[in-house]
Amino acid sequence: MSTVVPPRVRGMLAGISWPVYVLLYTPLALVAYYSFAPAPNMAGHSLHAYNVLFHDGVVFVALQRSLILAIGSATVSTALGTLLGYGLCRFRVANARGFMANMPSLIIYTPIIMPSLVFGISELIFFNFVHRTTGMLGAGLGTMVIAHITFQVPYVALTVFARLAGLDPNLFEASYDLYADGIKSFLYLVVPVVQPAIIGGFMLGITLSIDDFTISFFTSGPGSVTLPIYIYSAIARKGISPEINALGTLMITTIVVLAIVHFFITRHRDDASRQEA
Amino acid sequence: MRTAAQGEARSRAIRLWITSGPGLFWIVLFLLIPSAVLLGIGFFSADDYGNPVLPLSTTPFQQVAGYSLLGWDDGNIIIFLRSVQQAGIATVVTALLSYPLVFFIMTRPASVRPLLLLFIILPSWTNQVVRTYAWLELLGPNAPVTWVAHWLGIVPPDLGIAPGSFAVTTGLAYNYLPYMIVPLYASAEKLDWTLVEAGRDLYASGLRLFWHTVFPQTVPGLLSGVIFVAIPAFGDYVVPQLLGGDRALMIGSLIANQFTETPDWPYGAALTIIMLVFTGAGLVAFRVLTRKIGGEGEATI
Amino acid sequence: MRSIRYVAAALFAMGVAAPRIAQADTPTLNLFIWSSYITESIIDGFELQCGCKVVETDYDSNAEMAAKLKAGGDSQYDVVVPSSYYVPELTDEGLIQPIDHSQITNFGNLFPKFQNPDYDPGDKYSIPYQWGTTGIVYDPKKIPNPGTGWDVLYDPKVNPNFPFVLPKGEGRDQIASACAYLGYGFNCSQESQWLAAAKLIVETKKRPNFAGFVDETPARDQMKSGLIAVSTAYNGDIATCYADGSCTNLKYYLPSQGTEIWVDTMAIPAHAPNPQLALEFINFILSAHTGADLSNFNEYASPNQASQQYLTGILATQLIVPSADDMKRLQFLAPLRGAQYKLFNQIWTSVLQ
Repeated sequence: MSTVVPPRVRGMLAGISWPVYVLLYTPLALVAYYSFAPAPNMAGHSLHAYNVLFHDGVVFVALQRSLILAIGSATVSTALGTLLGYGLCRFRVANARGFMANMPSLIIYTPIIMPSLVFGISELIFFNFVHRTTGMLGAGLGTMVIAHITFQVPYVALTVFARLAGLDPNLFEASYDLYADGIKSFLYLVVPVVQPAIIGGFMLGITLSIDDFTISFFTSGPGSVTLPIYIYSAIARKGISPEINALGTLMITTIVVLAIVHFFITRHRDDASRQEA
Repeated sequence: MRTAAQGEARSRAIRLWITSGPGLFWIVLFLLIPSAVLLGIGFFSADDYGNPVLPLSTTPFQQVAGYSLLGWDDGNIIIFLRSVQQAGIATVVTALLSYPLVFFIMTRPASVRPLLLLFIILPSWTNQVVRTYAWLELLGPNAPVTWVAHWLGIVPPDLGIAPGSFAVTTGLAYNYLPYMIVPLYASAEKLDWTLVEAGRDLYASGLRLFWHTVFPQTVPGLLSGVIFVAIPAFGDYVVPQLLGGDRALMIGSLIANQFTETPDWPYGAALTIIMLVFTGAGLVAFRVLTRKIGGEGEATI
Repeated sequence: MRSIRYVAAALFAMGVAAPRIAQADTPTLNLFIWSSYITESIIDGFELQCGCKVVETDYDSNAEMAAKLKAGGDSQYDVVVPSSYYVPELTDEGLIQPIDHSQITNFGNLFPKFQNPDYDPGDKYSIPYQWGTTGIVYDPKKIPNPGTGWDVLYDPKVNPNFPFVLPKGEGRDQIASACAYLGYGFNCSQESQWLAAAKLIVETKKRPNFAGFVDETPARDQMKSGLIAVSTAYNGDIATCYADGSCTNLKYYLPSQGTEIWVDTMAIPAHAPNPQLALEFINFILSAHTGADLSNFNEYASPNQASQQYLTGILATQLIVPSADDMKRLQFLAPLRGAQYKLFNQIWTSVLQ
C-alpha cells in the first residue's frame, strides 16, 4: 500500500488529519480542565470534583446500567443486523420492482428516520399496553434494551451491506460449492470478510446507545436511570458542574488508556509470535 | 412441475427470510406497530390540552401546512427548508473531512488502524450536552479563537462566534463525523489497489486517478454514511439549540414541542407523518439515483 | 483452561457488583423528581420511618415529565414534583389525583398563603415543596445601570452590545415579562396583549446580541463563564452560587413591573401504585425539621412556617425571603385552561419560528 500512495499525498493526508484529531480532543481537554475546578470557596485547582464523584453512589450505578444496556443491546443488534444486511445483499433479487421488493428498505430506514421523541413515546405507550394486558415487559432495563436494539439494527445492517456490496457474487457461489452448507459458508467466508463492518456496526451501536437520552427516558422504569438520564437531569438542575466534567474526563481517559494498553499488548504478542515462526 | 430455476428461486427466498427475517420482524414488532398507533392520532382532533379526541379531522395536517388559530403563515415551510439545509451542511462537511481521515488511517500500519478509528469515535461517547457546551466556551466571547475573529473584524466585540451558524456547523460536524467515517472506512478497507496501479500505468495521476479508481469503490460506504448523517441531522435540534442560540426552530424541535412544551399530539403526529413521508421519498429517490450511477449492482439497501 | 477461570472471575465480579434486587415484600415508593432536589439523609430518614424503600428517578423539565405521565407513566410513579403552573393542566387532564388531607396531619405547618394558592385552591391536588422567585441576574461590570424593570432585556438602549438570553420552555414567563414591560401587567390574559408581547419578543430575537433561548439554570452557568451579561434566574440558583463563591460578582434583583413567584409541589399521579406511601411521604416532608433540612440543602425558601426557625445561612436574607415590598410585585402565573391554553401555545410556537 505504501508504494501506491505517493509521499506528497501521504503528507497532505497527515496534514489534514492531525489537526482534525487535535480539534476532536480540544473540547475534551477543556472538559478535563474544568474538572479540576477549585472546591467551593477556595482557590486553586483541586481534585474536589473527583472526590465528590467517587462518593456519589448514584453515578456509578447509572454508569453500570449504561454499560450493560449499551453492550447488551449492541451485541444483539449486531447479530440481527449482520444477518439482515447479509440476507438482503445475498438473497434479494437485484433491482426488483414493486412494493414487496422495496418493503425491507422502508422497514430498515424507519428507526433511523423516526424522531427520538416519537420513537420513545410510541414505545412507552406500546410497552404500557402490553404490560397491562399480559403483565410482561414492565418498564425497566428490559424495555430499554428492546428499544435500543430497535434503533441500532438498521445501522449495523447498512454498514454490513455496504461492505458486501460490490463483492463478486461468484465468491458466494464458490464458497457454497466448497462448504456445501449455508451456515459454514456464512461463518467461514462471509464473517471474516465483513469483520470490519461487524466491528464498526457494534461500535456504532454502542455509540448510539451510550448517548441516548430521549428514548431511554421514556422507556425507563422507576430506578432504571442511565448515565445520560442522570447527566441531563443534573445539568438541568445544577448546570454543568465540575463533577460532570470529571465524569466525562474519567470515562474518556479510561477508554484511551485501555485502548493503548491493548494495542501494545497485542503488538507485543504479534511480534513475539512472528519471531517464533 | 417445478423447474430447477423455480426451485432455486424458492430456496433463495427461504434463505432470505431466515437471515433477514428476524431483524425485520423485530423492527416491525417493536417500532412500526407502536409508531403506527401513535401516528394514527394525526387524524384526530386535539382537545385544548393537546390530547387526541374524536371526531377525526384533517386539522392537524392543515396545521402542518401552516394554518393555526392565528391564520396562515409560512413558518413551517421555513423551518422545513432550514432543516434540509442543516442536513446538507452536516453531510457535506463530514464527507469532506472523512475522506482524508479514512485514507490517512489506511496509510498507517494495520495494527494501528483500529486505534486511530477508535480515537475518532471516542469523543462521541461523552455526553452530547457536555461536549456541546465545551464548544460554546471554545467559541464564546472570551475564547482565543474569538479574539482572532474580533481582530479580523468578522465578529463584533463583546459577542462570540457562538452562538452562530459557524458554531452550529462545527457542532454538527463534530457530532456526526463518526457516523460518516465508520461505513466509509468499512467500505474503503477492502479497496482493490491493483486498480490504482492499473490506472497509474495508464498515465492517470492525482485527482483524476483518485476519482476514477479509488472513489467509485468507496461509494457504497459513502452512501451509507450520507444516510447516517443526513437523516439524523435533518431532525437534529440539540446542536442548533445550544450553539445556534435556539434562535431558529428546526423541524425536530417543532415536533418535540408538540409532545412536551406546547402539547398538541395530533399536530405532532401529523408533522411526523409528513416528515417520514418526505424522508422516505428522499430515500427512494436516492436509491434510484445511486442505482443509475452505480450500474447494476445495488450500492445501498 | 485459564479462560474458564477468567470467565468465572468476571461473572463473580459482576454478581457482586450488580445492584441488589429489592426484596419482593418491601413496599417501594417511586419518586419522580428533579435531580438533586432532595437529600440522601431525608430519603434515609423516610425509609427508616416507613420501613419501605425509596426509588428516585429524575427528570429535567416539567414538559417531559408531563409527556411521560400522559403516555403511561402515571401508573409507574407514586410522587411527582410539578411546578405550580403545571398543576392546573395535570388536574384537568386527570393525570394527578386529589390528596386526602386527612392523612396530611402536618398540613398546618404551611404558611397560610401556601395553604390556598391561586393555582390550586385549598391545595386539593398538590402540596407545596419549595418556592422561589424569578428575577434578573446581571454583570455590573458590563451593565452598570440595568434599571429596575425588565428594560434590561427588552430595551435595546439599556443593553446594546452584550450577549443576553431569554428563557426557553413553555413561554409563560417570557410573554408575562414582555406584557409587564409593555405595561399590561405580569398576568396579562387578553389575546391582543399576548400578540403585542409576542411581537416584542420576536423583535428582541432579531437583535445581534441576542444569544438565544436558554433556561434559567444553564443561563446562570453561562453568566458565570462570562458568555452572557444578563439573563433571568431563579433566586435559589443565585443563592447556591453565592454560597459557594462562584458568582459573587453578579447581582440579582426582582423587576419592579412584576415577576413570578413559583412553587414546586408534590402531587400523586392518578394511577400511582402506592398512594398510601405517597401520602406518608408528603406528610414527612411537611414536618418542621425535614422542611428545614430540605431548604438548607437546596438554598430555596421553604413554604413551611414551622421550619423557619431551623433555617440557616443565606436563607434568612432578602434574596431568599423577599420583603413585603417585593411580595407586592410577585405573582403566581395565572392558570391557563382550555381554549386559552391552546391559543397561548400557538402564539408561543409562532414566536419560536
